[in-house]
Amino acid sequence: MLINRRDFTLASLLAAGTVGLPVFARSEGAKTIALLFDSLESPFWVSGLEIMRAKAKAAGWTSLEAISDTDDAKQFEQVKSMLSRKVDGILIIQTDSKAVIPAIRAANAAGVPMVHFNRPPAESDAYSVAIQADNRKIMQNTVQYLVDEARRLGGKYKACILIGNLGDVNAIQRRDGFFDVVNQHKDIIDVVARISTEWNADKAFADLTNAIQANPDINFLQTSSDFLHPQIEQVLKSANKWRKRGEEGHVIFGGFDGDEGGYQRLLDGYLDADGVQNLFLEVDMAFQAFEDLWAGKKPDKLLLDPGFVISHENMNEKRDQMWGYVVWKKKNG
Amino acid sequence: MTEPDVSATRREGTGGLLRLRHGAVDLLGSEYLVLVLTILYFLVLWPIVPAIAAPATLLDIIAYMGPLLVVAIGQTFVLIVAGIDLSAPSVLAITAVVAASIMTADNGYLANTPFAVPGGLLSFLVIGGAIGWLNGAAVTALKMPPFIVTLSTMMFFSGAAIWYTAAHTDATSIGDLPPAFIAIGQTESGGGVIALSIAAVVTVLGHLTLSRTVFGRWLYAIGANPVAAEISGVPVRRAVTWAFVISGFCTAIASILYTGRLETGSPVLGQRILLDIIGAAVIGGVSLFGGKGKVIWTLFGVLFLSVIDKSLQLLGLSQFWVLVIKGCVILAAAIADATRHRLLTRQ
Repeated sequence: MLINRRDFTLASLLAAGTVGLPVFARSEGAKTIALLFDSLESPFWVSGLEIMRAKAKAAGWTSLEAISDTDDAKQFEQVKSMLSRKVDGILIIQTDSKAVIPAIRAANAAGVPMVHFNRPPAESDAYSVAIQADNRKIMQNTVQYLVDEARRLGGKYKACILIGNLGDVNAIQRRDGFFDVVNQHKDIIDVVARISTEWNADKAFADLTNAIQANPDINFLQTSSDFLHPQIEQVLKSANKWRKRGEEGHVIFGGFDGDEGGYQRLLDGYLDADGVQNLFLEVDMAFQAFEDLWAGKKPDKLLLDPGFVISHENMNEKRDQMWGYVVWKKKNG
Repeated sequence: MTEPDVSATRREGTGGLLRLRHGAVDLLGSEYLVLVLTILYFLVLWPIVPAIAAPATLLDIIAYMGPLLVVAIGQTFVLIVAGIDLSAPSVLAITAVVAASIMTADNGYLANTPFAVPGGLLSFLVIGGAIGWLNGAAVTALKMPPFIVTLSTMMFFSGAAIWYTAAHTDATSIGDLPPAFIAIGQTESGGGVIALSIAAVVTVLGHLTLSRTVFGRWLYAIGANPVAAEISGVPVRRAVTWAFVISGFCTAIASILYTGRLETGSPVLGQRILLDIIGAAVIGGVSLFGGKGKVIWTLFGVLFLSVIDKSLQLLGLSQFWVLVIKGCVILAAAIADATRHRLLTRQ
């Protein structure tokens, strides 16, 4: 059979069209999102990434990943690379709230929605959506639980708070939430130690050791993050103050985040209450923000996760919403 | 019909193999090996990630290279005299925050005055040069190993940058920089021209200094054998000190480009960049033992790393695969480089 040039051209075009059709169909329906993390140094971020991967897969989206290793310049390049890949959305966890602004502008210029996870950017003319835990409210509720417990037990309390990095808005909000409550209960609570950990576990360990030596009667302790629990446990054990609820000398102890260690200590009775960032809800909110932005809606720049407080009283009812419990359950069956 | 000349064919085949082998040996011995590897890598990746060949991506790669190239050129000067400058990340950080505190519209020392940008730029260069001089003076006058000296200055100035930032703002970085300054580091619109021009000027000046000046020859002589260089009348102390000063200046210029691009003076700027700086120079062929290196080699090394970085970003793989691939590619380049040296030594 002879094929002339016209037939060949037509057949080639048809073949190309047939081959290209599924690709086109896929590009119409399936979305690709970029998950840009600055590090995976704490269980919160590791679990967050796993939940995002699973939910993206369940939604039929493709996810591309990059980690900047806390390098703002590299993260900016990663954003530009993802824009070159023509992703449909960028979920970003930036290191610095100001240095991310050029990246938001680049995404705006490319018409690609950007959602910040857990860390909002600094105020600017660029538009993006940030999902953040209502840190202050969650901390207020957690500390209120501890104060109620203190009132129930009676007596006077010497309190200590482990604060995060004061350049981190999350740390500032958690600190403020703590003082909002304890300042209303000065009749029984005297804050004798404010430890600025700068989110550094070694520094937290050293400064808490010093604080306990200077104030051996500390009996009320709140941390701004659960990842510091091992250091706190170590210091309290050394000071012979690591006691369970109901035991003589128990330090009323509050956590924040809701990680696996937090759940274990709650279960063991060392931790009284944990302020939980609802990681599952936050991922849902972030993905919903993408859906809204793709649909042409314009969500508020800041969307808050109300979180919740978990204690031994509501543990069975609430633990399935606690991301740390899910991690714990995987390991412990 | 005649019988084919089997021996002639065999000779031709052997000749072809020989030519191929000589070609491979020539390529391995060539100073363009890293460039060839980069092009090969690019061509292999092109069908897998077509976005890598998009004009915007190529521009991104060039823009990304600019600051890294400038700081790596400074490092090349120090490596040639058999030194090493580990203080580069801290110079990036301290110059960024000090200059930002001068220029920022948020209570900057020269905020909203015509001197804000010139004052900021001057502070970048003065601080970078001063730290370079401090390193050089400690190495030459106190006869301390460059590794220890620059490790100490890295730790000191990294801490100082965080302290300085905390003393000037409640945030983790200093923003609100003047638009005229931001334009220098921008890669979008017309700003990219300025950044690339600065990088190009530094590259040309660095190349000319090393290849066409007496000072450049002094540096190679010191790197090869400092005692022989001193006996030959080379002012070793002065030249080594200047190598560190040049490194400090180059790092300060890179800091200008990074800070302008991010619109922010950050105390953790460049905290993770040290391996890229030294890695780019060494992959390009600059010797860690001194006496050998060219700016063009560093340029190829920076291009190589930048293309790898960009390709891995475009692939969007998980961090595990990124590290595995990057490690394998760099290892392959290192093996090729080692083979080249062995062949050159035999010749």
